[in-house]
Amino acid sequence: MKKYNIIFLFIIALNLQAQSKKNESSFLNRTEFKVGYFGNMIWDNGLNIGVEYKWKEHIKRKENRRNKKVILSQLLVHGNIDYTTNFSTETDNGASTYFGAIWRRTNTKGKQFSLELNPIGYYRSFLPETYKVEGNRVTKVSLPGRSYYAPSLAIGIGKYRKGKTRSAWYLNLRYTLRTPYNAGIMPTIALEYGYRFNLKNKH
Amino acid sequence: MKNRIQHYIKMAVVALVVFSVYACSKEAEDMNDLNTTLFVRHKKADMPAYIHGNASEKVFLIILHGGPGGTGMQYRVNTIKTEIEKNNAVVYFDQRGCGNSQGSYSEADLTVDLMAEDVLALVKVLKTKYGNDSRFFLMGHSWGGTLGPATLLKNQDEFLGWIDVDGSHSPKDMYFDYKDVLKKVADEQIAANNSIKHWEGVLDLVKNIGNVYSDEEFFKMNKKAHNSEDILAKDKVINESKVTGEEYSNFNPLKLLWTANQTVSILTKKGLYKDISYTNQLHNITIPSLVLWGKHDIIVPTIGALEAFDNLGSDDKELFIFEKSAHSPMFSEPELFAKKVIEFINTHK
Repeated sequence: MKKYNIIFLFIIALNLQAQSKKNESSFLNRTEFKVGYFGNMIWDNGLNIGVEYKWKEHIKRKENRRNKKVILSQLLVHGNIDYTTNFSTETDNGASTYFGAIWRRTNTKGKQFSLELNPIGYYRSFLPETYKVEGNRVTKVSLPGRSYYAPSLAIGIGKYRKGKTRSAWYLNLRYTLRTPYNAGIMPTIALEYGYRFNLKNKH
Repeated sequence: MKNRIQHYIKMAVVALVVFSVYACSKEAEDMNDLNTTLFVRHKKADMPAYIHGNASEKVFLIILHGGPGGTGMQYRVNTIKTEIEKNNAVVYFDQRGCGNSQGSYSEADLTVDLMAEDVLALVKVLKTKYGNDSRFFLMGHSWGGTLGPATLLKNQDEFLGWIDVDGSHSPKDMYFDYKDVLKKVADEQIAANNSIKHWEGVLDLVKNIGNVYSDEEFFKMNKKAHNSEDILAKDKVINESKVTGEEYSNFNPLKLLWTANQTVSILTKKGLYKDISYTNQLHNITIPSLVLWGKHDIIVPTIGALEAFDNLGSDDKELFIFEKSAHSPMFSEPELFAKKVIEFINTHK
């Protein structure tokens, strides 16, 4: 189990190192990194990190006598990795990664609303001491756990901070399906709260 | 600002390390006071066994939870935790498709037969971990009283004794037993002037139940039986259920409920309450047996207690009825329950 976590942390460290490298290309302009809480606040708690790339953008301007409204609609692609655990039990440790698209609307005041669809998702559970039984043969399983296909949907709100390196906060409600789980599927609901960062911004 | 970002990232990494180490930290095992969680991987399922208590004599009581779809840890309360665990180790096992069990298999792999093999696989794992001189008692509550006989009929040599607690050794009889028992208890309670409105509702329900088994009507009566036991407790016919020292709430109840529903649904579809009965095979169970039942059990009607006792093949068997209990004497008369279980284990260990 500890070996498993060391490997996991190594991958995270590599990922973070990659993110910290300075890149002056336009790719960085269109890219935001995010770090936040991931879990259901009671039983399963963890961390989530990810990256978003702005694919398409549409700006709609509305003007009347009193107000000038600018509505920004964006289509982004993103990838994330998270790790959650239940501190009281040894039955709910797991990491997942998911990839998909985000539609996000930002109003004049920077308030954001987003919808996510992640058709590509993978969840890996980490189990404690596990023994496999085949007939009369019992063997200890190394790196025990199970893998599940885990697509997800999310709905979220947030606030954009124009020109800031810490470019936004976000709060998402995520619905994930783990499948095949036992003889069917396992739906899970999680909250995500965190910050997005645009490394191209100077403040 | 870049420094702040690096600071956040460092904090995230440190938090991950703390999470990981905390999640994986493990103390050395104390056989006098075991506190271990392990998983049994058997035929595409990973099933947790939570092992607690005094294993100094390597005597283990394996508890088969109710449901189907319950969880082992719901029994780690009251005197099971405070008394029985002091006497011997207790293994709280989440069955296939229940509690925190996981895996990837088809509906064909969720059968009573395979679930019974899982229990025998658990015994093999415990012997591997704690030694071949380990000794086992098996206890089944409610649905665990279906799985218990199914396990013992495959291999009872692994066990020193069988404790049947309000167990449904014949789920297929429950439909017809419900009709009789619900009516009988309703008549008695109306005569005693207790919660008349509720019991009249029970009579109305039973009146409209057909003579041919249907899943829908079975679950209507099952639900009414559960409600009725709450009413019996309210009217002080039985003791209120007492639950102290529970750790059950540490588990995600949404996950437990979801798995429970799926498992009940699949087993029901396969004819659990329509076709399955071990009554005619109970005579093949010859290990010492203790039958414990609540006098006012409606969920698995008390008529099953005598039937289990009469049909078990053991020369050394005992029937004990809890006067102030219904379906779960471990919650309503916990002190007496622990006394009976400890006596039985200490006599036969």
